[in-house]
Amino acid sequence: MEKKDIIQSVKDSLFTGIIALALFGPIVGLRTASKGEGLFITPQWGLVFILVGLCILGRFLINLNSARKTEFTFFSKFTSKLSSITEEKAKHLAITAILFAVVFPFLPFTDRYFMDVAIMILTYIMLGWGLNIVVGLAGLLDLGYVAFYAVGAYSYALIATTFGWSFWICLPLAGIFAAFFGILLGFPVLRLRGDYLAIVTLGFGEIIRIVLINWYEVTNGPDGITGIPRPSFFGLPFKRSPDEGEASFHTFFNLEYSTMHRIIFLYYLILVLALITNYFTLKIRKLPVGRAWEALREDEIACKSLGVNPTNTKLTAFAIGAMFGGFAGSFFATRQAFISPESFTFIESAIIVAIVVLGGMGSQTGVVLASIFLIGITEMFRDLEQFRMIAFGGAMVLIMVFKPKGILANRKPTIFMHGDKK
Amino acid sequence: MSNLLSVENLTMQFGGLTAIDNLSFDAKNNEITSIIGPNGAGKTTVFNCLTGFYKPTNGQMFLHKDEGKISLRKYTDFKIAHVAKVARTFQNIRLFPAMSVLENLLVAQHNELMVASGYSLFGLLNLKSYRDKEQLAVDKARYWLDIIGLTNRADDNAGDLPYGDQRKLEIVRAMCIEPKLLCLDEPAAGLNPKESAELNKLLKFIKTEKKTGILLIEHDMSVVMGISDHVVVLNYGKKIFEGTADQTKNSKEVIEAYLGVDE
Repeated sequence: MEKKDIIQSVKDSLFTGIIALALFGPIVGLRTASKGEGLFITPQWGLVFILVGLCILGRFLINLNSARKTEFTFFSKFTSKLSSITEEKAKHLAITAILFAVVFPFLPFTDRYFMDVAIMILTYIMLGWGLNIVVGLAGLLDLGYVAFYAVGAYSYALIATTFGWSFWICLPLAGIFAAFFGILLGFPVLRLRGDYLAIVTLGFGEIIRIVLINWYEVTNGPDGITGIPRPSFFGLPFKRSPDEGEASFHTFFNLEYSTMHRIIFLYYLILVLALITNYFTLKIRKLPVGRAWEALREDEIACKSLGVNPTNTKLTAFAIGAMFGGFAGSFFATRQAFISPESFTFIESAIIVAIVVLGGMGSQTGVVLASIFLIGITEMFRDLEQFRMIAFGGAMVLIMVFKPKGILANRKPTIFMHGDKK
Repeated sequence: MSNLLSVENLTMQFGGLTAIDNLSFDAKNNEITSIIGPNGAGKTTVFNCLTGFYKPTNGQMFLHKDEGKISLRKYTDFKIAHVAKVARTFQNIRLFPAMSVLENLLVAQHNELMVASGYSLFGLLNLKSYRDKEQLAVDKARYWLDIIGLTNRADDNAGDLPYGDQRKLEIVRAMCIEPKLLCLDEPAAGLNPKESAELNKLLKFIKTEKKTGILLIEHDMSVVMGISDHVVVLNYGKKIFEGTADQTKNSKEVIEAYLGVDE
């Protein structure tokens, strides 16, 4: 490394320091504290200098790293190793992961908290896999995916509370409703691409949320829907004291009553739903329609010149992606037993898109890793309360700096002429 | 030789600009018809009208098929390739770069495969009838890859191929939809003399073995004069000459407007 480069990176780091000072100075440096009858400002310059110092140091290290053109960073090495392992032993790895997921509820250290986090991660994995069809395969950047999640949740909640139908009837209905909304969104945005599409889908997500808030007669507005039926184990409810003449899960199987039964059942439910999503996506990717999605992502004009109907192809992508969002939404509704428009804000869409993009567009394993990483990190820092979003942002920055294409960005062809060599 | 394509009084205006002015010409079956002319003469616009990317202001375009003649004006967008069976390539190559060579050729057979997969239903159930059809599609891809000598690279990404091979791949990808008429927009652009010679061979093969009419836009005169049966010369959207390659070479108007004189 030359002297010139060092001076350059020192300059750059100092400049970063100035920006950090301008930001941290007022935000961290001047703290308001109420003492007695008034509001006073307590300066905390020490903390500011520590933070600015950290920024300068961090920037300098990043500069050194890029100047050397070597990947000495642990993270970068780790992920490249990860991609080569996942490619070589994809099958073994998938089976191990599924086996681990199956036995997870019965491991000695698994408690209620772990189960809740696992259910949450699995929900995001399922949403990520659903969105992966739209964003990863068809290349349509959808920032309003939470709308379909909301449609699924509300369809489930309304059908279940109004007609009292069982979970297994309401689930497909909710999926169909969500798919219908997917097509509804699909039509006006057929001609849009890239940024324009992103903005319209973002608007669509907000429209659905605002309709849910204001359509008081049907959705009960901001109060939400309460008393959504809990799922039953093929007709056996998870109740401590079942009604007269009715068996419940623990009496039928002669078990001690425990609230964990229901949690474990929910866990397996979302695991099965997520695995169905994954299986379906992997299958359909290898079919003509899956290849047409990817071709559309690559070049729409070339697709037209080959006789591929872009309208139908895009609409199927929207509909199928939305359908899985709807399934996940019904699961969310039955798990919470209460839903309100507050659960379906833009930040949810952003997290799901972040999972797909950071995982590596189109990579199914990438979605799993990104979900565990992003949701896990935010959970680990739960004690820090609102500061945990910093951890979330930090995780995203880390991935984007060292793996701009996502954690696992390797695409494997859907069909081989000379056999799968890897 | 029977007519394959007849363009009658084709006019295309963009606002006040007339890109094509009352153009009429015919292209025959099993022939290579070249459209030449200086840059901006309206050659690519003719292609865009023929292949449904533009709607012409005036005029008719007919494709003569076995079952009768059809008007290309009626078809837009993807239906030109799907129903009318007119295929095209692009001036700047438009492959699917992140997909494998084989996948590129399978996307070209999308519509047949879509029906074979029962609109994905049979495919999801993995029925034998679909797997057989898919195998047929792969065999067709292999047939064309053998011809352009890229069989051993079938599983590589199309974007990783050398430029000349990408050009050839785009042409055989268009051939996978089994077109009646193949429109090639500057296929020899950026090719070295050896690659141009290979391209000539490929186009002659398509013409004689596949009985496909070819419409060619090209600036490389070694290609145009070597393989064209018929040449149409455009200048400022107007046809200034039409004839065989030899007639074109010696025509005074064409030399003045486009070819120039050897010094």
